Amino acid sequence: MIDPEEIVGPEWAEWYRMTPQERWEASARLWADYLALGGSLDPEPDTDSPFFDPEEPGAGPFDGRPGVRVIRRSAV
Amino acid sequence: MGGQACVLYGAAQFSRDTDLVILAEAKNLQRLQAALDELQAVVIAVPPFEQKYLELGLGVHFRCQAPSCAGMRIDVLSKMRGVDNFPELWERRTTVQAEDGEYEVLSLPDLVRAKKTQRAKDWPMITALVEVNYFRNQLAPNPAQIRFWLQELRTPGLLCEVARKHADVARLTVGERPLIAEALANDPAALEKSLAAEERTEREADRAYWLPLRSEIERLRRLRRGSSTEANDP
Repeated sequence: MIDPEEIVGPEWAEWYRMTPQERWEASARLWADYLALGGSLDPEPDTDSPFFDPEEPGAGPFDGRPGVRVIRRSAV
Repeated sequence: MGGQACVLYGAAQFSRDTDLVILAEAKNLQRLQAALDELQAVVIAVPPFEQKYLELGLGVHFRCQAPSCAGMRIDVLSKMRGVDNFPELWERRTTVQAEDGEYEVLSLPDLVRAKKTQRAKDWPMITALVEVNYFRNQLAPNPAQIRFWLQELRTPGLLCEVARKHADVARLTVGERPLIAEALANDPAALEKSLAAEERTEREADRAYWLPLRSEIERLRRLRRGSSTEANDP
């Protein structure tokens, strides 16, 4: 018998084993952290989607603050 | 029906928007509009929120402006390729009781069918949705679950395992899903290739389905941009 760990690793195996209610509550906690970090509520740009519109304006971060941004990086 | 449903079924940990599948009837749209008004949700892209566009199969995209949910996206759909009509979906729905209320979500088989799109990101989601169901129920499955796994599993090792444990049902499934023959032969390498081909075929079918709908979206975009340019002209 194959274990979830063999297929998806320990973190996802733990998630797989939760009940829907437990996942809902854990996801709500992630949601709160994400918003606290100033995460955007826009879906990720998805060029595969038939609804993708490159000219559509985004909502920006939830709290209007700059949120997480890159302040230094390599040339690549 | 989208990301939130995937969270409940175990294939995602987080979703930034809410997707609703609804019955596109005038009275129901009025009720939904009243709910959207409470959230101060406004349409942010084409098409407008009208029954004819929902019946056509287009999604309507909203962004909430009420302080409690400012910025949150809501997408509304009524019709999806390869998926039954709303009354059948409603009949088969899953109801989840959470601390903050009850949620009605697409049944798992319907969600899997709805995810068979041209979008690359939907396919790992399908894989995970079926895996979770398999791992949860593998020790005491019912016949419907065994059929569902044989029809929808996308993990070669698990497909071989199911075919070995339920060979009689697997043999009956080969007609509708030929790659089950490779699972019965315990050939994960061949399965890997066949699963990739199966995905390519479905994604191509979805692209073909969306061709005329994309044209309609483009037409509506041009109309909207034309009218907004006119409105901005001095």
